[in-house]
Amino acid sequence: MTPVISLEDVWLTLGATPVLSGLSLALEPGEVLALLGPSGAGKTTVVRLILGFVAPQRGCVRLNGAVASADGRVLRLPEERNLAVVLQDLALWPHLTVAGNLAFGLEARGKPRAVREARIADMTRRVGLAGKEDRRPAQLSGGERQRVAIARALVLDPQAVLFDEPLTNLDVSLRRELLALVRALLKERGVPALYVTHEPREAVYLGDRIAVMGDGRVVQTGTVDALRANPVNEFVGRLLDDLDWSGAAKT
Amino acid sequence: MGRALTSRTQQLLLVGLAALVLLGTGFLPLVLAALELPLAGAQGLTHARAALTAPATWALLVRSLALATSVTGLALALGVPLAALLAKTDVGGRQAAFLVHAFPMFLPPFLLALGWFHLLGRRGIFGTETTSQLLFSFAGVVLVLALAFTPVVTSLVALALRGIDPSFEEAARIVAGPRRVVTRILLPLAWPAAALAALIVFALAFSELGVPMFLRVRAYPAAVFARLGGVEYAPGEAFGLVVPLLGVALGLLGFERSLAARRSFPVLGLRQRATIPLPLGAWRGPAGGVVWVLAALSVLPVAGLTLKASAGGFAGVPAWIGASLNNSVVSAGGAATIIAALGLVVGHGLARGRAGSRLLDAAAVLAFVTPPAVLGVGLISLWNRPVTHVVYGSLAIIVIGDVARYAVVGVRTMAAAVAQGPVEHEQAAAVGGAGFGRRLFRIVVPLHRFGLAGAWLLALVFCLRDLETAVLFYPPGREPLPVRIFTLEANGPESVVAALAVVQVALTAIIVAAGAALLRRAQRA
Repeated sequence: MTPVISLEDVWLTLGATPVLSGLSLALEPGEVLALLGPSGAGKTTVVRLILGFVAPQRGCVRLNGAVASADGRVLRLPEERNLAVVLQDLALWPHLTVAGNLAFGLEARGKPRAVREARIADMTRRVGLAGKEDRRPAQLSGGERQRVAIARALVLDPQAVLFDEPLTNLDVSLRRELLALVRALLKERGVPALYVTHEPREAVYLGDRIAVMGDGRVVQTGTVDALRANPVNEFVGRLLDDLDWSGAAKT
Repeated sequence: MGRALTSRTQQLLLVGLAALVLLGTGFLPLVLAALELPLAGAQGLTHARAALTAPATWALLVRSLALATSVTGLALALGVPLAALLAKTDVGGRQAAFLVHAFPMFLPPFLLALGWFHLLGRRGIFGTETTSQLLFSFAGVVLVLALAFTPVVTSLVALALRGIDPSFEEAARIVAGPRRVVTRILLPLAWPAAALAALIVFALAFSELGVPMFLRVRAYPAAVFARLGGVEYAPGEAFGLVVPLLGVALGLLGFERSLAARRSFPVLGLRQRATIPLPLGAWRGPAGGVVWVLAALSVLPVAGLTLKASAGGFAGVPAWIGASLNNSVVSAGGAATIIAALGLVVGHGLARGRAGSRLLDAAAVLAFVTPPAVLGVGLISLWNRPVTHVVYGSLAIIVIGDVARYAVVGVRTMAAAVAQGPVEHEQAAAVGGAGFGRRLFRIVVPLHRFGLAGAWLLALVFCLRDLETAVLFYPPGREPLPVRIFTLEANGPESVVAALAVVQVALTAIIVAAGAALLRRAQRA
């Protein structure tokens, strides 16, 4: 099957700093791929490459097999990629209500009003925000804002969703609650997702497969069991060994 | 305890001194101007009543309000889209276009009117009877002032657009095209800057003296000026006429306060995160054309002045310029230094939420938005006395007038600069035992040296371009260059007056170039 998203031998230097050095990865239809790596590994750059905000200096980014960016050029603009993202700082538009934040992308895609309203009602109910559609982000709690960001991404029915460490800085119980919500939403909608995180527990909990990133490239990809059983190097082994497996399972 | 007291004393002294200067130069004269009418005596009251009950007075006020509203509307209509194109899209040569477009903002508007006169007046390079009639009309004043003040809108909105968190824009770009991103996300987020720009343009247009007088269009501030020092000398009537102006000023202050409550300070461009310019695609060429036509329109009057001056005008400059260049540089330099110092103390307090700072800021805003005619009445009332003649008869009165009107420039610039820096540096110094003065001079000043230098340069430019304040009370032989040009334009040799205007342009260009270099260094630092 053709991967929904694939990065092939991508190289990128920002200023004098090499960020990506021959990185390759593929997101298959229907799967959740967790991109796991330490802070500063270039994970956010991978997200920006996929979204079309940065072009690879060498290599290419493909969406459903078609080249979207290659060799220093963005061939398909961000708005033409039919992707959605939940960013680390959420980026909820502060001047729009919850419904306005959800409607923005639907309007841009020309969805009729009735369709928009139905989808927004369904999604706000699904993430537990029914009755709060007219509130602005500043009037919501931290957890509610996370739910708006997740709903804003999924309401579009995109071909894939990217999560760029959206649960960083949340307390443990809220993180668990939102992880469960994200997993349930992704599974019931069957939408493929790339979940970027530096937290092995989140990767294990959400990822059908895990791609471990280090030194600007993906050093190993596989299921958690495969990675544990046969880590390609000490770095991968240590990253997964640090987990308290009983705790991870509970999560 | 002793150390805490010392720190508090330092704060009291420094803030108290700043408050004294700020209120003494700007607020007290406004109070005195308001009191002139009740203290004017029976005859003065009769004159004032006559002025205030004349239908012509109110018709003129409405006309001036309509003028300022039209200028503001046109400046917004041109400046907001231009700001979006320059700050957020891939339109060609946008940095150069912005510099060209913004430069005339730093010139006295009547110089631009003079430039348009040499282009479109009856004997101008492109002049015909029709262009001359258009220029010397209400519409002509609106067009000249709108082109002069549009850069205020463009600059503030562009800075606000560039200060918006890039993730808001990127989250929108994933799902929407450039037009929708700009109109639905970026411009609504930048509207407080547009509203602030509208307020500034309205205040400047309503106060404008030089352009309406030069283009022979009656305006309210000119009527006050004429009664204070012109052919219709009648100070009693002038005291009456300033009352409605105070009402307008208080209305503008109220509007500004409601804006300030929504958003603290515009980003000054000292801290930016790069975003990819929005691609205009097939519209890039036409949009570039529009941008460059507007930029060219902004500086076209300067070309008109230069062409006129090159017809033998420069040779006459040494004979005609007198001491005005020196007066300009000395008074503006002195005023800018005081304004920067005020900005350091009051702006820092404003950024850090120190008690009383908002009141001082409001006083500075009030002095800026109040038409200079009112400030002039108050300054004359305060300083035109035998005992203070040493001040009133020297450049010091011009420095005081400049500080009064433009203190807000220093306060807001420093507040914006300080607000962008973390408070923890100062807190760490306080924990380490540094008192208020030491924190201010050893931590705040070095950390915000670029902001302080920027405040000084910006204040210098504003003081150098001032006509409206100084023209009311400049002492004989002490007139700054804009006043010199303004008084000569009626009967001086045209080419020499144009050459003097070019000198003003060159002086401004040097300072603006220094400011741009400073900003680049600050961004790299």
